[in-house]
Amino acid sequence: MKISSMLLQAQAQVSEQDVVTPFEEVLLVVMVFVIMFGLGAGLTPRDFRQALRRPWGLIIGWVTQFGIMPILAYLLIITFLFQLPREYAIPVAIGAMIMGSVPAGTTSNIFTYFSKGNLALSVIMTTNSTLWAILMTPLALFFYLGLILPEGAAAQQIPPRNIIVTLVILLIPVVLGMLLRKFSANIGAVLELLGGFFGVFFILFLLSTWVPRNWNLLASTPWQTYLVAIGLGLFGITIAYLLTRGFKLHPMNARTIALETGIQNGPLAIAIVLLNFSGDPRIGLVLIVPALYSLFIVLVSTAVTFWFRRANLAEEQKIPSLL
Amino acid sequence: MTQQPWLTKYPDGVNSQLAPIAFAHLPALLRAASSTYATTIAFTQCMPNGMNGSLTYKQVDELSDDFAVYLREVIGLKFGERVAVQMPNCLSYPIVAFGVLKAGCVLVNTNPLYTAKEMIHQFSDAQASALVIIDMFADRLPEVLKKTNIENVITVKISEFFPPVVGGVIRMVQKVWNRALPKITIAHTRFNQALSEGKAHAKRNQVLDYVNQVNGETVAALQYTGGTTGVSKGAMLTHKNLVANTLQMMQMVDKYIRLGKETILTALPLYHIFAFTVNLLGFYHVGGRNIVIPNPRPPSNLKRAFENYQITWVSGVNTLYNALLKERWFLDGPPRNLSASVAGGMALHQSVATDWERVTNSPLVEGFGLTESSPVLTFNPLGGNAKPGAIGIPLPSTDIRIVDESGQPVAIGESGELIASGPQIMLGYWNNPTESAATIKAGWLYTGDIAQMDHDGYFKIVDRKKDVILVSGFNVYPNEIEEEIAKLPTVKEVGVIGLPDENTGERVCAYIVAASGSLTSAQVIEHCEKSLARYKLPKSIVIVNELPKSPIGKILRRELRSEAINKLANNNQKGA
Repeated sequence: MKISSMLLQAQAQVSEQDVVTPFEEVLLVVMVFVIMFGLGAGLTPRDFRQALRRPWGLIIGWVTQFGIMPILAYLLIITFLFQLPREYAIPVAIGAMIMGSVPAGTTSNIFTYFSKGNLALSVIMTTNSTLWAILMTPLALFFYLGLILPEGAAAQQIPPRNIIVTLVILLIPVVLGMLLRKFSANIGAVLELLGGFFGVFFILFLLSTWVPRNWNLLASTPWQTYLVAIGLGLFGITIAYLLTRGFKLHPMNARTIALETGIQNGPLAIAIVLLNFSGDPRIGLVLIVPALYSLFIVLVSTAVTFWFRRANLAEEQKIPSLL
Repeated sequence: MTQQPWLTKYPDGVNSQLAPIAFAHLPALLRAASSTYATTIAFTQCMPNGMNGSLTYKQVDELSDDFAVYLREVIGLKFGERVAVQMPNCLSYPIVAFGVLKAGCVLVNTNPLYTAKEMIHQFSDAQASALVIIDMFADRLPEVLKKTNIENVITVKISEFFPPVVGGVIRMVQKVWNRALPKITIAHTRFNQALSEGKAHAKRNQVLDYVNQVNGETVAALQYTGGTTGVSKGAMLTHKNLVANTLQMMQMVDKYIRLGKETILTALPLYHIFAFTVNLLGFYHVGGRNIVIPNPRPPSNLKRAFENYQITWVSGVNTLYNALLKERWFLDGPPRNLSASVAGGMALHQSVATDWERVTNSPLVEGFGLTESSPVLTFNPLGGNAKPGAIGIPLPSTDIRIVDESGQPVAIGESGELIASGPQIMLGYWNNPTESAATIKAGWLYTGDIAQMDHDGYFKIVDRKKDVILVSGFNVYPNEIEEEIAKLPTVKEVGVIGLPDENTGERVCAYIVAASGSLTSAQVIEHCEKSLARYKLPKSIVIVNELPKSPIGKILRRELRSEAINKLANNNQKGA
């Protein structure tokens, strides 16, 4: 078992610090707050009314979020991860399962905006899934971890602080942005532009700080783990997109639901790990998938966003030059 | 005796004759509005992201005075000299246009998308000596200036008169992101510089001196048009023409206008005569607020304008209404304060009108006119008396007849050429007596449009005289076929033309842009067979990606036809 011990050695050293430092965590919260403030300045109450008037998107989104994502995580785990030695695969699988069971993250709103999706729907969906997560995430974890773990599952706690932070950094800036736009369309438009600018910066920041620091992790990770970490986001987005298109949802809403489904709340997943596994020697392994996922989801979402934008451009009505 | 059955069809309170005109010329009409509505917002420019700038009536009045002084005193233009104006809808446009008119100069509206070649033709034909141009398109100037007499170039910015920070952001986006600001290599004056120089030279009552040289017969604008023959020429529209048409149009909708309270969406280009008269002059006259849109394509560019302003009127062409009705955001939140919408410039499809009325819960009615008639000749009465598919009844003080080839009136219901007379008919074509004489005969403007009048005096355009397809001696009107094909939900746009045919002389050909991928020729034929006579059925159907169109979105059958004929010729060569 030479390979497996090497694996364990190289990978078990992953700590909370590798995923995100406390300073970065604060910085990320502030950045999301600022970005959502700007993007919120592009929204009107009517956008939200319209999104609520067609609850189908919301319902499908709920199903993909809490139905499909955990199943997807489970299938990826048993198909690929379990090819690896158990002492490595089990703790990594726990992390992957947590990643698949958490609700949508605020990053999905930023990518929805750039994908020319329905931002109001995205905000509602993130809020909705975050609230539902209080019930659904422990339920999904209890069920699937029960299938995965030889000893059966213990109940996992959900840290309420993260739920509240997610809602606060999402809803408050959006409402503030909307109010400012109502006060002045010019201020709204400038803020929206700045929000978009910061959004791009935010994505580049995530990528550029993550890779160099976790180089070791990247080099020692077996392909099965990669596949689980990348596949969760990539397949989640793809399945949700195909499903919503199959239900004949408007492409704009399909794009939104797809991103909303595939992009999970990474910080929440990490917080769940820390809350439930602190002191557990396996914590480093449990953190692997949340850490890898957080990197690759940004890459995947960026690629998907470019593709969505091209699709949107093709759908756009070509009317003759009226200039 | 000629019949005028429409005289009894005007809505209550609308006189069939135009009230005596209180304004000797456009500056008088503008000045009256400027003093009545001084503090009201006259123009708001709305960018696709909602950034905006506004000008009040008073500001427009004062700034256009400054510009008039600049033109006359600083660059020394004389009364009647031509000033070409080339810009998309923006806050500078009304100031420039009104300034030119106040200076007693002649406005030459020019499409900003013109190529250097088209610019050279228009500027030299008009003998323009000054040009006001948007800086985005100034890169064509070195070539153009060499071949024209233009001595003065004034450049405007799209963000002119915006709040400083917002204007700066737009400027930066244009420069850095869009790279839309070419380096201007020729001598030019910035618009704000011109205005401050004008202000510095202004003396008391100076503009009044210029204006006193103007009378009703003074040419106000040279409005270029392909006209009935296709060669671009300048229609001379006088101050009287434009004042009269403004008042005729507003008299027709008088009851539906709340003075000083209307907001009209100006998505059509102001350099085009339709928006120029109806939106710019008409709604300025009644104290309205024009929401000017620099570029309405893609139609999502109009989203913020509809969200941020309570729009009460829209003027547009069929293409624009059709496009809006296909936008999800528009259907989700249609404007709730619309009084009415006005369509012109091209035939309004019945299906579009019905859908628009259902979605916005307000009427969309069609009018008709030509550049040569300033432009409006007929309009459907609002208030339930509009006839679907008809272009309406003549405006007050407008006489219209349907005549045969020899110029004799035809019976009611018969097709013939529509001819018109009234105070809005142009003086003639600039430097083109031959074309003028062929178009205006004994005071009647020959429009080249084939129309019918019904018993109520409502007119219906059957087709363009030139576009009629002769199939085995039968007249086929492309409009009728297009209207029929457009009813198919899988059809987005259609253009019908005639092509030479060995057996029938000409045959009907349809060029279709499909709304979805599943459209087949067989479906179209099957659909047409239900309602069209055999000889009218399209013999060939071509599915294309797009159709050639004019700046306001009119499908250009002439171009479609010449493309098709070229293709035929090529194929024949290959075959031989």
